[in-house]
Amino acid sequence: MTASARYTELPELADHASGFEAVWVSTSDRNGPYRVLPDGRCDIILRFDARLTPITAITVVVTGPTTRFYDIALQPGMGFVGIRMRPGFFEKILGFEPSGLADGNLTGGDALAALPDFETLCAPALDHDELAARLAAFVRQRSLSSRFAPAPISASIISAFHAAGGRLRVGEVAAMHGISERTVQRVLIKAIGLKPKAFASILQFHRALRLLRDHRLSPADAALEAGYADQAHMNRVFRRMGGFSPARLPDVTLVTLGE
Amino acid sequence: MTPSFGYSIVYVADVVATVSFYEAAFGLRRKFVHDSNLYAEMETGQTTLAFAGEAMAEMNGFAIRANRRTDLAAGFELALIFADPHDAYRRAVAAGASPLKPPEEKPWRQIVGYVRDINGCLIEIASAVTA
Repeated sequence: MTASARYTELPELADHASGFEAVWVSTSDRNGPYRVLPDGRCDIILRFDARLTPITAITVVVTGPTTRFYDIALQPGMGFVGIRMRPGFFEKILGFEPSGLADGNLTGGDALAALPDFETLCAPALDHDELAARLAAFVRQRSLSSRFAPAPISASIISAFHAAGGRLRVGEVAAMHGISERTVQRVLIKAIGLKPKAFASILQFHRALRLLRDHRLSPADAALEAGYADQAHMNRVFRRMGGFSPARLPDVTLVTLGE
Repeated sequence: MTPSFGYSIVYVADVVATVSFYEAAFGLRRKFVHDSNLYAEMETGQTTLAFAGEAMAEMNGFAIRANRRTDLAAGFELALIFADPHDAYRRAVAAGASPLKPPEEKPWRQIVGYVRDINGCLIEIASAVTA
């Protein structure tokens, strides 16, 4: 696993009200696999050859919510511009629900078939800045003119899972909001495309990663604080979701999840 | 040096709505609301009462059980001192606080009542303790 792409977020382009928490660019400078960790988010990505000016042959990719890692085979010069949608805004922006895309994606022709308007994103561009601005404007316009809106309870449920670092069970989140577990499940699947337990596991995994990497806790302390039954439990989750051990953290990109 | 008690920071789903509620329900005034709408302080004298968005907990790397009006109250309370707790209780409930226990006089002569705020946090509405 090699971190062979430079990933940069462009915070000035993020627009929470329009439903996207980050606009990012990434350019590969070598051959090799690039590991993508599950983050409970869906992105709209424009893929292109960054060595060409102007940029042509742009491919649209919509990534669904993932529950385990996957590797992308990078080649030198591969460029990406992406938008990470806030949980709950997928349908508002794209007009269909994210659940059919769990652990999958729509690439190229499949993305255009799902949303023909994507064609407007594929016109030649001078550089990735132009593409990033074009993508942000496209998503903002889709969001503003959408007839879909997230359920009012959706933001509160998602925030409760986030604030707890995934440590609350679905029954607890349901009780906190005075609603049934079935309602929590229905709201989350519609908003995120994942079941509550899968979403909570992802949040717990990300928090444990940060406790290890940024807070420099020992694996035993991180496992306890993150809410795993024991260190062995954390090890199993790390292998499944990240493909690595907590004792040997690779140089992976941890995206900013801002709910 | 003995430490001083600087702040109580309550994590809430909506900082701006909470500040507006505390102004309307308890007559407190806002001292500062950050542009991000993720942090605010009230004018509460020596010890600051502040509110932070739930996203701040995550940014700081800790995990919390979010405060919700429909949930069991968390195990703490904020006590606010009023000249007339009976009147303050009525005003708070009229502004949207959940009534919990109307003010009554305690054996030590203090008047004490309880409401829950819009986030479900326990608020004591009391008179000052007089010697």
